[in-house]
Amino acid sequence: MLKDYIFKILKENIIEILPEMPEEKIRLEESLRELGANSVDRMDIVVKTMEAIGIKISMVETAQAANIGELVDLFYEKKRLAG
Amino acid sequence: MNVGIEAINFYGGPAYISVRDLFQARGLDLGRFNNLMMDKKSVGMPCEDPVTNAVNAARPIIDRLTDSEKNSIDLVITASESGLDFGKSLSTYIHDYLGLSRNSRLFEVKQACYGGTAALHMASSYIASQVSPGAKALVVATDVARAAAKNTYAEPSQAVGAIAMLVSDRPEVMELDLGASGYYSFEVMDTFRPMPEIETGDPDLSLLSYLDCLDNSFKAYEEKVEGVNFMHTFDFLAFHTPFPGMVKGGHRKMMRELARISPDQIEEDFNRRVAPSLGYCTQVGNVYSATLYLALCGLIDQADFEDFSRVGLFSYGSGCSSEFYSGILTKHSKAVLSEMMIGKKLAQRYRLDIEEYDRILDLNMEWMFGIKDKEVELSGFTEIYEQFFKGRGLLVLNRVKNYHREYSWS
Repeated sequence: MLKDYIFKILKENIIEILPEMPEEKIRLEESLRELGANSVDRMDIVVKTMEAIGIKISMVETAQAANIGELVDLFYEKKRLAG
Repeated sequence: MNVGIEAINFYGGPAYISVRDLFQARGLDLGRFNNLMMDKKSVGMPCEDPVTNAVNAARPIIDRLTDSEKNSIDLVITASESGLDFGKSLSTYIHDYLGLSRNSRLFEVKQACYGGTAALHMASSYIASQVSPGAKALVVATDVARAAAKNTYAEPSQAVGAIAMLVSDRPEVMELDLGASGYYSFEVMDTFRPMPEIETGDPDLSLLSYLDCLDNSFKAYEEKVEGVNFMHTFDFLAFHTPFPGMVKGGHRKMMRELARISPDQIEEDFNRRVAPSLGYCTQVGNVYSATLYLALCGLIDQADFEDFSRVGLFSYGSGCSSEFYSGILTKHSKAVLSEMMIGKKLAQRYRLDIEEYDRILDLNMEWMFGIKDKEVELSGFTEIYEQFFKGRGLLVLNRVKNYHREYSWS
């Protein structure tokens, strides 16, 4: 449930930052970079998503996520640990 | 005791390439051009190196001093990630060609783009300690891009330049809020120069590390200084500027987290408090250890400010070490800096077309670290030499003889 919610928020933010992006292209196995988000776009997407779900982790840590699915997992773990 | 920058000057090279021309010639995605927010990048010639750039930045400052003021300089710190020798510091050549007192300390510091800030604070602490009453220090930050970095998204921003700062107890350009500094450092392999010809790494990781450092060095500053507010304490902000688009992103992130205002208000705040610092950076590119101070010069020359305006400064160097600190500017800061005519000198640079730029890059490639014997041939760039150097009294490299660099005045 929580994971689905995090994915939904992430997807909304990707579309907000990359308005041309068709929603169906945003899948867990895709990376933000492959979707055409440059480094500053990715920062905006990650910062907005963390703000919306109420967590804060270091930006360097988010670089470990190789794709959207791993980013969702990372946010999920942080949110779960934060209670 | 008031301590800080008494005088500052920037040398930004004899030539530039239009960043748009470079994007088109390299077939880079123009969609990313706007993201960079860069217009021109400075390019150096084979008769230049980190020493000539440093001396050409410092000499207008030194020439304005009386003999007794000049002789009171007893510390020369050079910050660079483009050193010319593992043992001998750049300061030894710079000190020599500026004719400074032999009763001086000379050395070099390195921490990527943070080096200039490390040197400024070491010099300021020395002045503030009063162990040498009346002394002044010369701090130089000088760097050149590795010529080999062609055909990457880093190429349009990697430039050449040097900042010289006279540090003393007469801070006519910027008085430091001594002790008001937040640091944040940790080991990360983001961008680095592991070989003479290579400047490489992961620029995306570097951006993320920069953002973590901005966030945490400001937090450390906040813990030291009572009543600080990111939005209201600083009349202006100047950040290390690898490319201006990154500064915009960093400011946006900080404002989202700390000010909770609308995107339009963030944009307005950026235009008012940050954009003036980017004026010269968009015209020069990333000058590594000198970049934050190029941003500061842009701010002083181009912002409209009242007496006692506080500026928040953020310095980041890959690897990484960072610092958030602050200083005070007055109307007098503008008067002192305007004598250096930085904008006018940047406007005099020679515009290279792509063929000339590629040819110069190839020539510069021959001048990498470790040269033992080599003569500078002016024939590869005669027009630029005639236009920019000849008769202007700038320091130029003539040759390297048994590793020793020999220079003369143009």
